[in-house]
Amino acid sequence: MSNYSTAIKKPLPLLALLVVGAAACDTLLTSAPEDADVFDAPVPGLTDAEMVVFLLGDEGFEEAFSPATGVGPIFNDVACGACHSGDGRGRIENALTRFSRGSDPALDEGGPQLQDRAIAGAVPEVLPVGVDVSVRLPPPVFGVGLIEAIPAAAILANADPADADGDGISGRPNWVTPAAWVPHTEVGGGSGPQLGRFSRKAQVSSVLQQSVEAYSQDMGITTDFLPVDNVNPQSGASTLASDLVPDPEVPLATVRAVVDYVRMLAPPAPGEDTPSRLFGSTLFDQIGCQNCHVREFTTGDSRISALANTRVVLYSDLLLHDMGDELADNRPDGMADGREWRTTPLWGLRLVREFLNGDMFLMHDGRASTVEEAILLHGGEATGVRLAFEALSAEDRAALVDFVESR
Amino acid sequence: MKPVAVTLCLFAMVATPLWGQEDTTETRAFVRGGVYDKPYLTQLLGRAALGGYAEFHSRWEREDGINEFSFVAKRFNLFTAARVSDFVRFAAELEFEDGAEEILLEFASIDLTIHRAFAVRAGMLLSPLGRFNLAHDSPLNEFTDRPVTSTDIFGVALSEPGLGALGSIPVGGSGRVTYEAYLVNGFNDGVINNSPDGTRIPEGRRNFEDNNSAPSFVGRVTYSPNLGFELGLSGYTGPYNQFQSEGARLDERRNVNLWVLDFEGSLLGFEFSGEGGFGNVDIPPTLIGTLASDQAGFYLDILRDFGHGWISTMAQSHFSVGARLESVDFNRDIEGDDTRQISLGFNFRPNAESVYKFNYVRGRTTDSFNNAAQFSKLLFSVATYF
Ligand code: HEC
Ligand code: HEC
Repeated sequence: MSNYSTAIKKPLPLLALLVVGAAACDTLLTSAPEDADVFDAPVPGLTDAEMVVFLLGDEGFEEAFSPATGVGPIFNDVACGACHSGDGRGRIENALTRFSRGSDPALDEGGPQLQDRAIAGAVPEVLPVGVDVSVRLPPPVFGVGLIEAIPAAAILANADPADADGDGISGRPNWVTPAAWVPHTEVGGGSGPQLGRFSRKAQVSSVLQQSVEAYSQDMGITTDFLPVDNVNPQSGASTLASDLVPDPEVPLATVRAVVDYVRMLAPPAPGEDTPSRLFGSTLFDQIGCQNCHVREFTTGDSRISALANTRVVLYSDLLLHDMGDELADNRPDGMADGREWRTTPLWGLRLVREFLNGDMFLMHDGRASTVEEAILLHGGEATGVRLAFEALSAEDRAALVDFVESR
Repeated sequence: MKPVAVTLCLFAMVATPLWGQEDTTETRAFVRGGVYDKPYLTQLLGRAALGGYAEFHSRWEREDGINEFSFVAKRFNLFTAARVSDFVRFAAELEFEDGAEEILLEFASIDLTIHRAFAVRAGMLLSPLGRFNLAHDSPLNEFTDRPVTSTDIFGVALSEPGLGALGSIPVGGSGRVTYEAYLVNGFNDGVINNSPDGTRIPEGRRNFEDNNSAPSFVGRVTYSPNLGFELGLSGYTGPYNQFQSEGARLDERRNVNLWVLDFEGSLLGFEFSGEGGFGNVDIPPTLIGTLASDQAGFYLDILRDFGHGWISTMAQSHFSVGARLESVDFNRDIEGDDTRQISLGFNFRPNAESVYKFNYVRGRTTDSFNNAAQFSKLLFSVATYF
C-alpha cells in the first residue's frame, strides 16, 4: 500500500513525447554535411595518431586571435579560417595586397604586404605611392598536402619554357629560395632553389613556410620560426610596444599541427558525371584547357601514408603561364614575372558558392564571378584556347562550363 | 518570556518594511525575484539572513554532427542580507561558478531608504540593464541556459561598483512606476580586445576600478499598470577605452551604448516575458571591418504551469511547459555572425523553490562568411534555492 505507486497521475504522456522526440534523431538533433561536400574533411585512411593532430590543427586553423592573445600590432585578419572560408577560398574583402618596387620587396616602406589594420596604440600601414601592387584572393587550402607530395620531376615534365612544341603554351617553374628557418627535412626546404608550388605565383615552396608567414604577416602572430612581431616601418613610435603578449604567441605544437592539418585536408568529391558533363570534359581536352589545367598527377612518397602514391585530380600543372595584359599585375614575385600566374587548380569549384554566401570569386584577385567570365579573361599563352572556346556553339560552351563548374 | 516577545515584536517591526514593504497597499517586490525578493528572506531569524541557490547541469550538445557530453557543477551562490536600521539595509551575493573556477562578488550594496520613492544605493550593484539581469537566479528560470542575448550582448550577470538612486512611485489604483539610475565604472577595452569572436561587450565588464576616470550611466524605468504586467526600458552609456590617463589624453573617447526593452505579462493562463535590445560600440578606425559596431538580439519566453497536486505525495508540486525563441545578431554590418534558436522546456517543480528542467534546444549559427552550422542540445538541470 505504497503512496509512491499511485503518486504520479498524469505527466507520463509528456515524458513519452520527449523520448519519442529524442528517438527521431537526425531531424531533431541535426546532422552534418557529407565529407564529400565540404572543404574541411580529412583525407581517408589517416591513422589514429594523425587524426589527433588533424583535430588539433583544425582548432588552430579556426583559432581567432584577439589583442589579448597577440594579434597585431599590424595585421590583416584574426584567424586562418577568417580568410579561408570553410577552408576554401576567401571573399574580395579578405584579399591581401602585396607591394614592392620592381623586384625590391620595399621592406623599409612596409612591403611586401600591406597590413592595413592595427590594434590600439599601433598605426596601420598605408600603401606608399608609386609601388607595384598585386591583389590576391585567398585560395583554398585543401589538397596542399597532395600537391606537396607530387614528385618535382612530374611537375617539371610539363614545363616547356621555350615552347619547344610550338603550341603557344610554355609553362615555367618558379624556382624559389626557401627561408633559412624552414627545416631541410620539409618538402621545399633546403639550401638552394626549390620548386615553388604554393600561392598565386607559386612563389612559396613549402606548406610550412606558407603557414608560418601567414601567422606572421597576415595575423601578426609570432612563432618559434619567426619570433619577432612584424612592425610598421612607416610609423614614428615603435609598433612593438603596443603588443605586450609574450612571444612566441602560438606554441610550436600548434603551428606544426596546423601545417599538418592543411596537409591532410581532402579535396571535395566532384559532382555527378552527367552526359552533358562528360561531353564538356571531352571539349576541355579538345580545345586545350588541359594543356595548363593538367587533369591529374600521382603522388610519390609522403610521411603521411594516406597521401602517398595516390591520384590527385586537381586540373593544374602547377606551373607559371603568361596570362596576358589584362590579368598582369606587373609585379614580379620570385622568378615569376608581372604577367605570370600559377595555373589555378579547378577542384572544388562546385562548392564555391556554398561557402561564400552564394557568391563566386574567381581568378587571382576574385574579379570574375562566373566560370565563363573567368575563361573569357584568359589571354597571353591561353589566347588560342580562349578563341577556341569562343568559337564553340552556345550549347557546347554550356557543356564545358557545366563540366568545369561541377569539379 | 517577555524579552523574547519584545525581540520578536521588534523584529517584526524592523522586518516588515523590508520584506513586506512599509506600505500595506504596496506589498510588491521592487523587482520580482530581485535582490530583496528571494525565498530565504522569508525565513529570517536574526538580523542577517543567509541563503543562496545551487545549480547542476547535465549537457548533451551537438554541433555540425559532433557530439559532446558533460556534467557541470554550474553554480553555487550565497546570499546574505541584513536590515541594519530602519533606513539602512544591506545585501550581498557571492558566486562560485563552474566548481569555483570563478569566484565573484556579484552584488554587495547598501541602501539608504529615505522614502519609498527615493533610496540611495551604493556598492557593488547589479546594473539595471533589463529585468533578466536583476533577477537571473536559476531556480527562478524555466530554462537551463540563460538567454544568449542577455549573456552575450548585455553581459548578464552585469554588476559593478557604483552609486545612485532608486524608487517606486504609485500611479493609479494598483499601478506603479519604478526607476533605478546609477553612475558606475563602466566597461573596459576588453569589449574589443578580449574575445576571439570580435566585439563582445561582456568581455569588458567587472571593473573594480575605472580605467578612464569617466563614469558610465546605467538606468531603468518600469511601468506596471497592475501586478503581473510590467514594461521596462533600460539604457547604458559610457566610455570603455583608456582615452585618458594621468592627466594626458591618449586617444579618442569611445563609448559603449546599450538599450534594452523588457516586459512580462500573462494572458489566457500563459505567462509571457522577453527582452530585446541593441548594443553599439565605437570601434577604433584601424579595426573597422574586423570588429562589429552594432549588435542586437531578443528572446521571448512563453510558459504554462499545470499539474498542481498530480503527485499526491508532494502537495506543492507542479509541472510546466515552455518555449523560448531567441535571435542574436553579433554583427549588424554583415550578413553572417548570428545565432537563432528555439528551446522547449518541460519542468517539474517539487515546490516553488526547486526545479528539475528538461530542455531541448535546436538552433543555427553562422560565421562571418554566413556559413551555417546546425546545433541541438539536450539539457537536464536541477536548481534550488536554499
Ligand atoms: C588575411 C587573409 C589570410 C589569412 C589570415 C591566412 N591566409 Fe592563407 N592565404 C591568403 C592569401 C591571399 C593567399 C595567397 C597568397 C598569394 O598568392 O600570394 C593564401 C595562401 C595560402 C596557402 C596556399 C594555398 C595554395 O593553393 O597555394 C595556404 C596553404 C594557406 N594560405 C594557409 C594558411 C594558414 C595555415 C593560415 C593561418 C596560419 C592562413 N593561411 C591565414 C590569405 C590568408
Ligand atoms: C595557358 C594556360 C591556361 C589555359 C590554356 C587555360 N587556363 Fe584556365 N587558368 C590559367 C591560369 C594561369 C589561371 C589563373 C589566372 C589568374 O588567377 O589570374 C587560370 C584560371 C582559370 C579559372 C579560374 C579558377 C579559379 O578558381 O579562380 C578557370 C575557371 C579556368 N582557368 C578555366 C579554364 C578553362 C575552362 C580553360 C579552357 C577553355 C582554361 N582555363 C585554359 C591557365 C590556363
